[in-house]
Amino acid sequence: MFTTGSKFLIGASVLAVVAAILYGVTQDGVLGTVGLTSAAVAIIGLATANALLRDSNVFLDDEAPADTSSAAQYAPGSSPWPLAFAFAGVIVAVGLVSYQPIVVIGLALLLAAGAEWTVSAWSERASGNVDHNAEVRSRLSNPLEYPVGGAIAIGIIIYAFSRVMLWLSKSGTVVAFSVLAAVVLAIGFAIASRRSVQPAAIGGVMAFGAVAMVAVGTAAGLDGERDIPEFETTTIWQEEAILHPAEYAAGAEEGKHPAGLICESPEEFPEADERASETVALKSNAIQVFLRADGSLEYDTPGNLPLGSDAVTIPRSNPTNVIFRNESDEDARLSLDMGTMTVEADGEEVEARHQICTTLIEGGGAQLLTVEIDQPSFAFSDPNPNGAGPGIWFFVPGTESATLEVLVP
Amino acid sequence: MRDPQTGTTLSNVTHLRSAGRARHLRLAVLAAAGLAVAGCAENAPQDIFQEKGSNAEAIGDLDFVYYIAIGVGVIVAIVIAWVIFRYRDRGQPIPEQTHGKPILEIGLTILPALILVGVAIPTVGTLMALNETDDTECIVNVTGQQWWWEFDYPVQDGCGGIDEPIVTSGQMVIPADTNVLIRGTSRDVIHSFWIPALNGKRDMVPGRIHTLRMQAYEPGLYAGQCAEFCGLSHANMRMEVAALDDAGFEAWKANQLEDYEAPFPSTKAAAGEAAFIANCSRCHQIDGLLDSDGSPIVARPDQQVYSGAAPNLTNFMTRNTFAGASWDMLIDDCREDVWEAPSDQFTERYLEGVTDACFKESELREWLRDSTAKKPMYADPEELEETDGLFRGMPYLALSEDQIDDLLAYLLERK
Repeated sequence: MFTTGSKFLIGASVLAVVAAILYGVTQDGVLGTVGLTSAAVAIIGLATANALLRDSNVFLDDEAPADTSSAAQYAPGSSPWPLAFAFAGVIVAVGLVSYQPIVVIGLALLLAAGAEWTVSAWSERASGNVDHNAEVRSRLSNPLEYPVGGAIAIGIIIYAFSRVMLWLSKSGTVVAFSVLAAVVLAIGFAIASRRSVQPAAIGGVMAFGAVAMVAVGTAAGLDGERDIPEFETTTIWQEEAILHPAEYAAGAEEGKHPAGLICESPEEFPEADERASETVALKSNAIQVFLRADGSLEYDTPGNLPLGSDAVTIPRSNPTNVIFRNESDEDARLSLDMGTMTVEADGEEVEARHQICTTLIEGGGAQLLTVEIDQPSFAFSDPNPNGAGPGIWFFVPGTESATLEVLVP
Repeated sequence: MRDPQTGTTLSNVTHLRSAGRARHLRLAVLAAAGLAVAGCAENAPQDIFQEKGSNAEAIGDLDFVYYIAIGVGVIVAIVIAWVIFRYRDRGQPIPEQTHGKPILEIGLTILPALILVGVAIPTVGTLMALNETDDTECIVNVTGQQWWWEFDYPVQDGCGGIDEPIVTSGQMVIPADTNVLIRGTSRDVIHSFWIPALNGKRDMVPGRIHTLRMQAYEPGLYAGQCAEFCGLSHANMRMEVAALDDAGFEAWKANQLEDYEAPFPSTKAAAGEAAFIANCSRCHQIDGLLDSDGSPIVARPDQQVYSGAAPNLTNFMTRNTFAGASWDMLIDDCREDVWEAPSDQFTERYLEGVTDACFKESELREWLRDSTAKKPMYADPEELEETDGLFRGMPYLALSEDQIDDLLAYLLERK
């Protein structure tokens, strides 16, 4: 009833179960019990499979297996997948002890190699006809292989291209693209001018280009990205001065930037949008503030009313765009002083000026400043050092006469 | 010949069917006429055909476009109906298929083009004229937010001179017969400002300033409402424009800038002041209100309300509607006195504000009792994740009836 192999495995299963029970009861060890139970389960599984398949035994007088058994089949050819599978396993093991992300790469390769190996092995047993087996394999796996393989190849090329772009300098990019465009044009012309071109030739050119791209991208990636100088916005400079006064002062002493708050300084800082002169559509801004050549500040708003210089009204709790136009001959910035605020700096609560400002604008330039004030101006009752009285004030650092009161209803 | 089913003679059946059809046709014509006439109410406050200002009149002068469009529409409909009837399938052979008549096609292209040109020239001219702002003499900043309108008057030489900013809500007060420039924006979503009797619609877009010129020929109250869907209470986002004569406008300005008058001690109004400070002053500003230390109380709606602002209630009872001008504070008789006042009497009646005798406290009481039940808003304190914990609209305050009584007494004095 049971074949020899099955009897052996059944006996081993019973032994494993008994051993697991005895160990668990007498030794009270969790690890050992789990191990023996796992072994018992595995052996029971093998025994079941073996019993169902009857040991894959082939009797001497059994005629059918002479044609259909594995030994009678065409021997499979060499396959790279077992090697790839083993290699992927090694990558997983290496990743576990070194760099964790390599484990993910190894697992992905393991999955891919395992799937390919499975499909190959299955197709080799589909029939006795090698060509038919190959066709069956292609029909099953090509719909997945081509798109995935193509996506991976394109991804590699694009990634390599991106490394090249990050490595090239600003001017180098212009040269590189000019040369590349000329090369593409030349190759295109060469192909188009011939009466006929071998597909293999075009394929070779494309392959060469792809390999060259990947090679250059690898080299550029290893060399690293180009240096991109960092510029700070005025808000960041202001916060640095308030929140990290010690480092800020040290930076000023080293000459990295002027001392003092940027919004109170007429000097040049390494600022983002340096020498920017942005023009914003009239509908997007409510107010224009002009720094006149005589050092006065005036404002204009949409509508027919004349320019004002005493006080400008800004709605409460709504971002208001103010365009600053520097009509003087000197570089200048427009700052807004909204009184004091309490912030935590180095673990302590400190009071600091609540200010925002534009970057330094060249004479004749313009820039936008977005202002939002959440309290009415009567809430700002303390004297404002940057204005002619208490409240909220626009001012131009370095130009004493350039102040403009802001009223918020 | 008799109809076997009904027993009536065929001639009678035909007559009955014709009679039925004629009755239906008469009913249809009557219904259509009724619908057409229904849009012609005499005292509809938002009737675009009752222009009360120069800009609305300029738009109204384009009504010939309607008549041209109606005429063209009727002609086309008649032609289509005739073709459908005249050439319906009666079993006749299919007519000869020709390429067409080029002259007819060209003619029927040129004719509509000419009609369109004839319509476009005055229309574009009117649009450009309406966009002019060079002749404005007074500036009002209009800010829409869910679901009310704020009007602030910046410091300016216009409007007869304003030295300190004024802010109000719900009712915008302007001098009559003056070109007022509205500079509109929004604090949250897109709204649309529309006072039909005075001008067309203008979208109020966050981050942008859109200008609109407004002018009222005579003193009066002109109703409007938000014309761009803006959320749950879009239908409750109304506003009014109160046009006053010059003297009245000066008086209104002066009143808005008067110093705060605290209520007499030990009165219900004084208790109301305390209740206001305790419950309302987080969001609603009343200028001049002081705390126990004598420091001005500064409302911080930016910390409570999603849109960042709440109506300023400094002179609350100088306007006669509240909550996005959706509810009245005047009893019916007094309301009619103001709304229907002749133009030479309107200014005086409007400047009276809400008096004790005319105060319709029921609506305001309901509002204070539970604002969220009166006006749909996302004010549920347990569902504020979407707005980072901020209220969209006025929340439920759980005020007692005594507190409401006190608040009403206090607010009634705010004028």
